[in-house]
Amino acid sequence: MKQTSNIEPSSPAAAGTSNIELPSDVRSLGVWRVLSRIVDFVLAGIFIYAGIIKAFDPVQFASDIDNYKILPWPVCVALAFYLPWLEIFCALGLVFRFLYRGALSILTASIAVFTFATIAAKVRGLDITCGCFGHASQNWSFPSHLATNLAILTGLLLLFFKATSGNRLQNAG
Amino acid sequence: MKSSLVRQAVILAALALLPAAGEAIYFRDKISWRSAIAPSEMVTVEHARELGDTAIWVDARPEDEFANDHVPGAISLNEDRWNELLPQFLAVWAPGKKIIIYCSSVSCNASREVAHRLRKEAQLSDVFVLEGGWEAWLKKNR
Repeated sequence: MKQTSNIEPSSPAAAGTSNIELPSDVRSLGVWRVLSRIVDFVLAGIFIYAGIIKAFDPVQFASDIDNYKILPWPVCVALAFYLPWLEIFCALGLVFRFLYRGALSILTASIAVFTFATIAAKVRGLDITCGCFGHASQNWSFPSHLATNLAILTGLLLLFFKATSGNRLQNAG
Repeated sequence: MKSSLVRQAVILAALALLPAAGEAIYFRDKISWRSAIAPSEMVTVEHARELGDTAIWVDARPEDEFANDHVPGAISLNEDRWNELLPQFLAVWAPGKKIIIYCSSVSCNASREVAHRLRKEAQLSDVFVLEGGWEAWLKKNR
């Protein structure tokens, strides 16, 4: 069944002309949609870059995970092979809006876990490199590492909120 | 809605397994699943003994353990007194010599860290970690 737009011209006189007056809440919805797409692309770019760098050097990434001293070595190796590809697939999900909410939830969970692990490592006095962006992030300080993670987490939560609230509006309509 | 979210996440997680498995096969010789040290950077006790005088033994354990007992001819070089001990080690080292580093056992990290610093900071090659560490050496020699 073909869907039609439920946006009506504000007056009969305006019908048929190109200068349609849209209600302000509809306009802000459009702006929010554009902004969220920009955030989608920025975050996807970050995760694709980070994923590719780590996928090219799983040995270094396994060592970076091992530095957190949380997991046994074989698990570090398995994650070093697996996590970069998961990041890349989820990032592609954001770009193409394919399995979108699943991608958002995985990325949000993974960045939350890494942020928690980073704070835990700092509390335990471990001097670690996160390895998030390969050698590029090797000399990052703890505050810049944390700030980056929190900024990404905020962006993901905003997208997640938008995706779920948009769904609720659709269901309500 | 929640079930579709979980389903989407599971599909993505499953998709990522495929290239990860391919990569694990491709890198099988470059990374060990048993130890953080690559197989090419490890040496067994038997092989180390065969090297004879062409090898320098480095004890990465703490000072007191080295004082208690060590591989004959080994030099102490640990991270606690790195700046003090490194010049002493370099005085003994000669180009072409293979460096064999050991710490207490399979599970210790000290030998790996010392090997990493010798490669990175002292720009030395031919640096190897003894498989099984001091425990393995004791088993084969006493």
